Amino acid sequence: MATISGASVKNIVVACEAGMGSSVMVAKQLAKQLKAQEVSVTHSPVNQLSETDHDLVLCHRGLGSRAKQAVPNSVVIVFDMFLGDLKIAEVVSRIKSGDDISDD
Amino acid sequence: MANFIPAGDGTHTGWKSFVQKVGGNLAGMVIPNIGAFIAWGLLTALFIPTGWLPNEELSSMVGPMIINLLPILIGYTGGRLVHGQRGAVIGAVATVGVIVGTSIPMFLGAMLIGPLAAWVLKKIDAVLDPVTPTGFEMLIGNFSLGITGMLMAILGFLGIGPTVNAFSDVLGNGVKVLVDTGFLPLASILIEPAKILFLNNAINFGVLAPIGAVEAEETGKSIMFMLESNPGPGLGLLVAFWLAGPKILRGSAPGAIVIHFLGGIHEIYFPYVLLKPIVVLAAIAGGATGVATFAATGVGLVATPSPGSIFAYMAMTPPGNHFGVLLGIALSAAVSFVVAFFILKATRSGDDAADLDASKAKSQAMKTGDAA
Repeated sequence: MATISGASVKNIVVACEAGMGSSVMVAKQLAKQLKAQEVSVTHSPVNQLSETDHDLVLCHRGLGSRAKQAVPNSVVIVFDMFLGDLKIAEVVSRIKSGDDISDD
Repeated sequence: MANFIPAGDGTHTGWKSFVQKVGGNLAGMVIPNIGAFIAWGLLTALFIPTGWLPNEELSSMVGPMIINLLPILIGYTGGRLVHGQRGAVIGAVATVGVIVGTSIPMFLGAMLIGPLAAWVLKKIDAVLDPVTPTGFEMLIGNFSLGITGMLMAILGFLGIGPTVNAFSDVLGNGVKVLVDTGFLPLASILIEPAKILFLNNAINFGVLAPIGAVEAEETGKSIMFMLESNPGPGLGLLVAFWLAGPKILRGSAPGAIVIHFLGGIHEIYFPYVLLKPIVVLAAIAGGATGVATFAATGVGLVATPSPGSIFAYMAMTPPGNHFGVLLGIALSAAVSFVVAFFILKATRSGDDAADLDASKAKSQAMKTGDAA
């Protein structure tokens, strides 16, 4: 389990299988919501997560164990829905409020 | 953090991670090169003798692209995944050995030898790097790659090419038997559930596309490209969730329909099924209907449609095949919708609690400004 303060999140990577489809879509949505916080949101294939520079990793639950395996020391938040996911909404609100974010 | 949506399948057995990983690597060699596949697919659809604008001179590009360019790109990308730029170069070199050893598009061979050659070079570099004297880095680096590349190309020519060729024959014949005997729709029993487990790219790009490419090279089209990528079953599911799903899922379904069917990102519907796993039966029924229709009307695509959007489907459909392709997509969507609709209606009784949670969740989402 890893924890990070929402205020110090400046780089988010969204991971998916190919790093070109669903992750791009989620990253775009997230970037829009976090524009004011100046958080950079990028996307990556889950296999290449270790090569990315990030404070926080987001990926679908189906790829969660592989993401955690790739970057065991990073905060990896798994979500269930690609649109309107509550976990993602919570991450956004914690980044805005500066509260701690931890994976479980 | 409160985990409010129950994950349909939260546990990860080792094998699933493993298969995903291997499949992910296979897909990782193909997906970055999809643009080249599309260029080849469009050239094929336009200029081959049975194409829209038959043109002998322009169609002369079709063969070299699929036989040489596409496997080399796959071998290059596979090498890069293992060992960066040096791995990419040796992957491309070694792939040439596999290509000239056979007469079929060597995707599988490239997927093997590209990463293998890069891995060998990585091991050699690990030995040579520490003992390379200053000023000799370039000399040793270039020749270690050159010599290893030559040896790997020979290995590919003598060993991997013929082996994969024989394997592809067996695979191709097996598929042909399935098609001829009408059992091909049964493939959906495996494909649809595997898709939901995020094995979609592994199946399509790792298994089906290489088989399809061999067939498409001979006949100009293949049904193999349509087994996994048909957007019909997902469309039917999403419409059913929109009209009859748990309340919490209804709001996002229309947006998901657009992203899935027009944008071609199938991953968007997997979570809906994971929340109600029994609905996978609808995907299987829809998928099998689609495959049966494609087979019965004798249609195929010229290349793998990626992403699996209706637009990519139409672009990759050869002349005269549009009716069968559209019919298959429509029927698969209709069947998966009907089955999913009844499953969702029949299992509704237990949803009251979920709906309560849903409304709570909705208000929470609104507070955080993510209600859209």
